[in-house]
Amino acid sequence: MLARRGIAVSPGVAIGSALVLGTEDFRIPQRFVSVDAVDTEVARFRVALDAACREIAENEKLASEQLGQQYAAIFGAHLQMAQNPKLIEEIESLIREKCLSPEFASSRVLRRYAKAIQNLGNTYLAERAADIFDLEKRILRHLLGERREELAHLTEPVLVLAHNLTPSETARLNKQLVIGFATEVGGSTSHTAILAGALEIPAVVGTGDFLSDVSGGEIVIIDGNHGEVIIDPDDKTLTKYRDSEAKFRTFTERLDSLRQLPAETLDGVRIQVMGNIEFPDEVEHCTHRGADGIGLYRTEFLYLENDREPTEEDHYNAYCRVIQAMHGHPVVIRTLDLGADKIPSSFLGASEKAANPVLSLRSLRLSLQNLPLFKTQLRAILRAAVHGDVRVMFPLVTSLLELRQAKMILADVMEDLDEHGVEFNRDVPVGMMVEVPAAAILAHEFAAEVDFLSIGTNDLIQYTLAVDRSDPTVANLYSSGDPSILRLIRTVVEAGKTHNKPVTVCGQMSSDPKFVLQLIGIGLRHISVTPHAIPELKEVIRKITVSHAEQIAAHVQTLEVARDIENYLRGELKKVCPDLVM
Amino acid sequence: MCERNVKVNLENGLHLAPCSAIAKVSSGFDCDVRIVKGDLSINAKDIFEVIQLAAEYGTTLLCKATGPDAPKAIQALADLFESNFEGIVPPEA
Repeated sequence: MLARRGIAVSPGVAIGSALVLGTEDFRIPQRFVSVDAVDTEVARFRVALDAACREIAENEKLASEQLGQQYAAIFGAHLQMAQNPKLIEEIESLIREKCLSPEFASSRVLRRYAKAIQNLGNTYLAERAADIFDLEKRILRHLLGERREELAHLTEPVLVLAHNLTPSETARLNKQLVIGFATEVGGSTSHTAILAGALEIPAVVGTGDFLSDVSGGEIVIIDGNHGEVIIDPDDKTLTKYRDSEAKFRTFTERLDSLRQLPAETLDGVRIQVMGNIEFPDEVEHCTHRGADGIGLYRTEFLYLENDREPTEEDHYNAYCRVIQAMHGHPVVIRTLDLGADKIPSSFLGASEKAANPVLSLRSLRLSLQNLPLFKTQLRAILRAAVHGDVRVMFPLVTSLLELRQAKMILADVMEDLDEHGVEFNRDVPVGMMVEVPAAAILAHEFAAEVDFLSIGTNDLIQYTLAVDRSDPTVANLYSSGDPSILRLIRTVVEAGKTHNKPVTVCGQMSSDPKFVLQLIGIGLRHISVTPHAIPELKEVIRKITVSHAEQIAAHVQTLEVARDIENYLRGELKKVCPDLVM
Repeated sequence: MCERNVKVNLENGLHLAPCSAIAKVSSGFDCDVRIVKGDLSINAKDIFEVIQLAAEYGTTLLCKATGPDAPKAIQALADLFESNFEGIVPPEA
């Protein structure tokens, strides 16, 4: 048994057999063979190994003819490894003595070799572990032959384990058969993490290296509640998780029954609980949980989905789908929030590689420097706004000048639509994200010039505490409970109150029920969260009074460090909703 | 028994291709061939063991052979190191 800790990005527990992506693009269907089959299985292994060796020898010959002897050497090395008597002996004895299937045995032994190389402490050599994975893949391919099961054609449920999943790979995962995933890299605010939430399967990211410790087909537990990945669990752990999996399911079912009930405190104060979405399909995750609207509609997928720049109609159609599904409930559309590094450079002309992407050309800054791109999106939003309660929101606003510029461009676009006689909504409320400390500090000035404010806690925390949460060496310094963060949020909420402008919190902080107590206590009345968190938050809201929340917030103000604040809030939450503290 | 010191002059040390060459050359002789680095002594005929040396640029290794072909084996290994694995290892980037 081996446990790895990462960042929990999508709740739930999944138990199943592993599919290790990248080094293995197909699944090992069977881990054990029966005792009487051992001889035939060993023979099957030898046939596959011979075929693999012939293939490598052919590659060696080709490379030597076409590229020269020195380039063929690498295949020569592969061949030597594949024919290594000790290696073969180890694999065969696992088949004979432990009754492992040849696939599982090969994968196990080769991974142990790869791991040994990675552990030599020589970076150049460590990368050579990839050669061993290559060999593993080749042998597996021959062993599995026609029975090969690829990710695209799965027939049985699996847990996907990968070094990294790109957003598009994540989006393509078959939700019926991929019942959970874990990646070695990535942070809680990475695009992949956000998509995991959207798919609603348990997911853990940022575990650090572990792929060489796991073979395809091995039993793995992904605990998306606590951010744990357990490889080859012992019976005790397995039973514990089977129980908690069942408990989680009943708990979710009970929460689902809250769907039709309003998010109202015991003393009758209505809190607006809205959903954050990325894809139009997710709108149903919100409606069936009784969301009061879409508080954050991210539009990045439009830019990432295709290799071409999205047209005005692409935008318009995507927006209309969401607006229509929400039947008059508010839909807040956030304009492009990507860094220049994430966008195909063909959209923007040549772009320099930024040394520090989070502090460089991204988000609204990028839009303001690429007006045709920005205007296309704004036109589509204004046109779609005819069909419902649509609001437009600018991300990463840092200075008043930027906000004014963005508003001026919006006015230009309106004028243009007017001139061409195109139908649009000229009264679209205009808001901004407060996610840069500068914007939080000047919240009063900003509040005077917008219709609403929305606090993006992920970036606000990263910029305020100077921490990249996806970097495991400093991830522990990232905390929503830091007094500096709470003070900035308080400033923004107060600015909203003074100027009578609604304030929403739409970062991951507001999906955490313990912080919801605090946020309501400082006067926040709108939250927007990942859809699966909606029922949980309703449960909390329906069990407290505003005055109780205010007392909690008052006590929090007396605490000086994040750890004390988080512990205190966890304790208070436990009193209110014991089920939620696991 | 025969032995000789050799020095690793490859910029990236003994990576996969040179390790493979060492194992291949050693395997061609009727004798036991070992390479010693500090406390570590490995069987030079087994590529995985040669990799375990993790010998970086500038490391000095001791090659030892026992058996009928010992002098020939040591000469062949010394040649390999002296030519800096020419024609076996791709020109380093």
